[in-house]
Amino acid sequence: MLRIENLHAEIDGKPILKGLTLSVNAGEIHAIMGPNGAGKSTLGYVLGGRPGYEVTEGSITFDGQDLLELEPHERAAAGVFLGFQYPVEIPGVSNVQFLRESLNAQRAVRSEKPLSGGEFLKLAREEAKKLDMDAEMLKRPVNVGFSGGEKKRNEMVQMGIIDPKFAILDETDSGLDIDALRIVGDGINRIMRQPTKAVLLITHYQRLLDYVKPDFVHVLADGRITRSGGAELAHQLEREGYAEIAA
Amino acid sequence: MSDAVLDLPSAREEAWRWADLGGLAAAAALAPVAAPEAEFLDLLGAKLLFVDGVLDEARSDLHRVTVGALAADDHALGRRAAGTGWSLHLDAQAVTDPVQIVHVATGRQNHVPSEIVLAEDAAAEVVETFVGAGWQNRFTRTRLGKGARLMRSVRLLQPAGFVSLREAAEIGEAASLVAVFLGAGGQGSRIDAQLTMAGDGAFVEYGGTLLTSAEQRQECAVRVNHAKPNGASRQVWRAVAADRSQVSLAAAVEVARHAQKTDGEQSLRGLLLDRTATVNLKPELEIFADDVKCAHGATVGELDQRAMFYMQSRGIPRARAEAILTRAFVADALERIGDETVRAAFEADADAWLEAALD
Ligand SMILES: Nc1ncnc2c1ncn2[C@@H]1O[C@H](COP(=O)(O)OP(=O)(O)OP(=O)(O)O)[C@@H](O)[C@H]1O
Ligand SMILES: [Mg+2]
Repeated sequence: MLRIENLHAEIDGKPILKGLTLSVNAGEIHAIMGPNGAGKSTLGYVLGGRPGYEVTEGSITFDGQDLLELEPHERAAAGVFLGFQYPVEIPGVSNVQFLRESLNAQRAVRSEKPLSGGEFLKLAREEAKKLDMDAEMLKRPVNVGFSGGEKKRNEMVQMGIIDPKFAILDETDSGLDIDALRIVGDGINRIMRQPTKAVLLITHYQRLLDYVKPDFVHVLADGRITRSGGAELAHQLEREGYAEIAA
Repeated sequence: MSDAVLDLPSAREEAWRWADLGGLAAAAALAPVAAPEAEFLDLLGAKLLFVDGVLDEARSDLHRVTVGALAADDHALGRRAAGTGWSLHLDAQAVTDPVQIVHVATGRQNHVPSEIVLAEDAAAEVVETFVGAGWQNRFTRTRLGKGARLMRSVRLLQPAGFVSLREAAEIGEAASLVAVFLGAGGQGSRIDAQLTMAGDGAFVEYGGTLLTSAEQRQECAVRVNHAKPNGASRQVWRAVAADRSQVSLAAAVEVARHAQKTDGEQSLRGLLLDRTATVNLKPELEIFADDVKCAHGATVGELDQRAMFYMQSRGIPRARAEAILTRAFVADALERIGDETVRAAFEADADAWLEAALD
């Protein structure tokens, strides 16, 4: 599904990703762990197409097409979802409006009929309920005044509504309380654990991986994948730290 | 330059520093255009159509509005508008259906006075629309008696030319004036208002949104004078400027020595859609009373690029994301329109502007 070859990317002329290679197949969940500042979020932004993140070398193909050729919104329509480490507040725009516009814009690209206001609300309410988010929050401006954990949960509600093919979830577990962690973990499994889908799960902690069992675990350090393994690698990292293992 | 323009103040005068006097003169010299369709909103009540400043009786329905000679004031713009104009006078407790006025210009210049006088506890709603080309100049005198309520909505939709509005209002005891302006055409404009809080506990909300593109210039210059205690005034203005255009917002609050417990708020915000555009903001407070609450905020910024990427990453195309964010930015300034039909029409005008500007 996703094939990243020798990816080099820089921000403001500063190299951050330095030859990253990674392949993700349909049906797989990959966890990415690594020290602060290693370039994990940068990888997510490059996949999403954030302006200012310049790819200087290498390639990314998604379902056989050159992802770097696509505009950010086209990547979304192609099935890529980026769960933000720091979800953005949008004053004056309600969650309902934001998500309905998002979903219908994607559907338009795929030549699907737009959802009516009523159809959309029904879908949004169901998804909020599954993730134990108060449906009233859907009416509020996007992420404005949401707690850290509420923002993360809202990312998952968005993912549930958009139903992407491939999700990059950047520290979706940070800021969640113990119950929320379980609910979000279950949500990721429910929405994404499917033979046609795949996930790149960026995390610092084993505890999310107790719920969402990764098929592969990679260590990203200094802009490269320095080590890959199975679920046991995450346990080893938690015990021994990056210094030992990733060096 | 036509004579009519010559005796306006010069831009060297502080209150006129941002006025586009050249644009006004150019508007007055515009070659005639065909009269555009005059479209009334689907509301009950009076409908007045002015073409080049003259009432088109056949296509108007006056209801309680009268037409006759009115005095002007001594203001540079207001004094030109002496002559025949429209008046709405309501007796105590009277309530009318909305009054709609469409001002069509086919070029050159026209000047019309008007007067809204509401007696105790009377209530009215007035909706005005400017279309066409040329310079349209209006003087509106408003007097609200005790407890009277007036809602005004004014939209400037001329593709070209200039609209100048001189407004003088006296708001009586516990009376309320809410006025919302939308500049969403291609014309230049100056909204020039002097509002006097003439009774105890008077209430005013006066604001709107001015949207400019190309070389366009629009401005407001509003002065609220709290002459009596316990008054509250809110001025909420939003400016959106694209290309090389300019919006200037000057809002002043004056609080007289004995006007204690005044609550004055000014919120002036500008959004630049291009680095070459300009938004000038000038909030002013002149407070001579000691027990008052006055807040003002004035900021100019650009669209939040993080929000832009967030929206795009969810599938919203760039231009649409810009439109949504810009629309959210001006929403505060339009939401005060009480009548749903009117509000929807104004919002649609703002949307149409955005669609064209962000293309
Ligand atoms: N706008 C920027 N200008 C310069 N450097 C930047 C910019 N944004 C990020 N960086 C740098 O890029 C590097 C990688 O950052 P990134 O956010 O990808 O790290 P991360 O692996 O996600 O870390 P964390 O675990 O703390 O979230 C860091 O050294 C960071 O300081
Ligand atoms: Mg990060």
